[in-house]
Amino acid sequence: MQTHDIVVIGAGPAGLAAATTAAGFGLSVLLIDDQPAPGGQIYRNVERAEALGHAAGLGADYRRGASLTTALRASGVIYLPGWQVWQIEPEGRLFANADGRTEEIGWRRLVIAIGALERAVPIPGWTLPGVMTVGAAQILLKTGGVLPDEDVWIAGSGPLPLLYAAQVIAAGGRIGGFIDTRRSANRWRALAHLPGALRNWPYLQKGIATTRILRRAGIPRITEVDAVEAVGAERLTSVRWRQRGVWHEQKAGGLLLHEGVVPHVHMTMSLGCTHDWDPVQRCFRPRLDDWGRTDTRGVIVAGDAGGIFGARAAEIRGKLAALGAAAELGKVPLQERDRQAAAWRRELAAHVAIRPFLDHLFAPPPSLLAPADDVVLCRCEGVTAGQIREAVDLGCLGPNQAKSFTRAGMGPCQGRICGLSVTTTIAAARGVSSAEIGFYRVRPPLKPLTLGEVAALLRDDVPT
Amino acid sequence: MRDADVIVLGGGLVGSAIAYGLIRLGKRVLVLDEGDVALRASRGNFGLVWVQGKGLGMPAYADWARYSADVWPAFSTELIERTGIDMNYRKTGGFDICLSERDLANRVATIDKLRAQQGDKGYDCEVVDRERLDNMVPGLGPEVIGGTYCPHDGHVSPLRLLKALHRAIGAAYRPNSTVSALQASGGGFAITAGGMVHSAPRIVLAAGLGNLGLCAMLGFKLPVRPQRGQILVTERLPAFLDYPVSGVRQTEEGTVMLGSSREEVGYDTATTVDVMQAIARRATRMFPRLAHARVVRAWGALRILAPDEFPIYQTVPGHEDAVIATCHSGVSLAGAHALRFAQFVADGQLPEHFSAFHSRRFDVSRTA
Repeated sequence: MQTHDIVVIGAGPAGLAAATTAAGFGLSVLLIDDQPAPGGQIYRNVERAEALGHAAGLGADYRRGASLTTALRASGVIYLPGWQVWQIEPEGRLFANADGRTEEIGWRRLVIAIGALERAVPIPGWTLPGVMTVGAAQILLKTGGVLPDEDVWIAGSGPLPLLYAAQVIAAGGRIGGFIDTRRSANRWRALAHLPGALRNWPYLQKGIATTRILRRAGIPRITEVDAVEAVGAERLTSVRWRQRGVWHEQKAGGLLLHEGVVPHVHMTMSLGCTHDWDPVQRCFRPRLDDWGRTDTRGVIVAGDAGGIFGARAAEIRGKLAALGAAAELGKVPLQERDRQAAAWRRELAAHVAIRPFLDHLFAPPPSLLAPADDVVLCRCEGVTAGQIREAVDLGCLGPNQAKSFTRAGMGPCQGRICGLSVTTTIAAARGVSSAEIGFYRVRPPLKPLTLGEVAALLRDDVPT
Repeated sequence: MRDADVIVLGGGLVGSAIAYGLIRLGKRVLVLDEGDVALRASRGNFGLVWVQGKGLGMPAYADWARYSADVWPAFSTELIERTGIDMNYRKTGGFDICLSERDLANRVATIDKLRAQQGDKGYDCEVVDRERLDNMVPGLGPEVIGGTYCPHDGHVSPLRLLKALHRAIGAAYRPNSTVSALQASGGGFAITAGGMVHSAPRIVLAAGLGNLGLCAMLGFKLPVRPQRGQILVTERLPAFLDYPVSGVRQTEEGTVMLGSSREEVGYDTATTVDVMQAIARRATRMFPRLAHARVVRAWGALRILAPDEFPIYQTVPGHEDAVIATCHSGVSLAGAHALRFAQFVADGQLPEHFSAFHSRRFDVSRTA
């Protein structure tokens, strides 16, 4: 087993910045990522897109990713694309596999930079073929330049649906319409945080400009919606929504859902790090200090995996994580660390300041937190919200007991998709806070691998 | 006023089965259990109703395991009728499969000794050679030599069993009731749990490893320890295995459970890669097709073991109405706990032949 000063998991903005910064301090760095190319979700496929010339349509923000990947290629970081980390041991070891082969990798400091997941949107019919997330559609756009058919609708809220729709239009496509589920009350709550948001005026301006692109393209935007349903027998045929108490229905060939992103906490949960409930974003995030350190020794989180602050902030948080680790490992004197950190933190402040405004503006609708009884929460095992409530009636206090009585969270995704929905549904049923309910106990493997791969792991001298 | 005739401490399979049995007998019962996260052998176990190989060195346990397997069908049928929950109990018979001549020889020796020990009662377990195995269990790997078969063995979904028991217990089940104080009081017991005080003339200590702390509250040191077992479970596969095999069991849903290690690591429920590897190797040598199955989850759970690994049933010394039930076979023994042991609790007396299960057996061996 080879041990590295720093192992970074995830090659998005946080991971790229952390890895290259750490290498710059003279540390031995290994960057491991499950995707075939660097960039993460936000800068997915950016190297190829640049080469093929279709990066321009995806915007200047997207092209920023190219500078990060270029820095990686010049950094001396050992980069392992296409490897999946499936087990992390707090004593400084992890296991990753690719193409049926497993490697045991040692770390002195571990930087988890695995970003965010799209929040599950459990509405009636969300598991029908023809329904997918906006993020998944955007992956198709970024990797293959795939445009949606014109009868594809978007339902949800947050910056991503608008951005995606604008990218589709810029690439010469169009969508059927945008059903905006943002509650008007959110706007008033968000206004209280506008002064902070004004510190990041370019971001706000971009948001306004994106809205204008939709309007100019003549794409309908339906607001004041408090319920959405995907309709169809074998697959999606139409989408229904309730606007000011009245139901409307529209034929649709596809429906893209999005209600924001949440930190991907499976790794930090599996390591037993302490997590806090974020009552505005309605998600768990690991408890971190100023350097991104968790309460598990040597384990650092950078970027959106530690709380949603966006790509630019993730980059700076990645640099701060590397700086803190370099100081711990004796490569940077403390005084120098603090001097450098102060500059980066000033830059970070502007990106962080807009978040309370965005968090309140795009807070998920309450209906998502406790769906109706017949709505599926765990799509792997087909468990409905009603079955979860039945388990609560039997005395299940939290997701772990409910899991053993319903099989929710036992399928291939191991609760990645349903975890938060199950927590909030139990919280609502019991009338207590989600903080008290907690989350699934996350068990290995973090990514499914075959039994043959486990059997063929490492050494041949293991007793059987 | 007393809250109940009997308070059962522990809402896992042992406590729930006994509580269910008491309710069947018309007793007023309370079951106190912990919160969402606890050391829960009942949620981490393998789901075997198992007889073969058990009880060598303690005939009373061999009898008790067999008795439980005998009453399991009736227990299951009745529980389904009461709750509508089918826990998929299948009395198929079960195999222990051996991958080397030495394994098989050891196995045969154990069964022979058990047969000698059980004498006239007989011991239904036969050695099966490779050819006969192939007729019953298709898809075995080339290294399989043979094995043993016992017709009384079977398997069940342990989670559905627990759910059915909880439904049968109903409102008597009280979660979030971790016991913080337990004392004898006015001819019975006062129990502080989850901010409430409950009292009853009789209690059953059935909290798994939690029994250590509960017994200590009554001044008794219970000789049990945790032993970790790691289990892997695969994605759903088409049905290929009708029988439970030692260490490999395909569930009704199609997932395949693979186990299970025996590790002395205290209260650590983590999984380790070398043990996962050993389990995977053994399973893929038995059933090569499993090499292509994806593992979706691995976990560690803790067995509750006495020094000789047999159950402990007794009353707490000095407290004749505090009954201890501690064992690591909560699934196998669920039938016996519900249909028989509950009767002992209701009667206020363990039968004469249960003295074999008393922990004083360890004192004897120490002085001998």
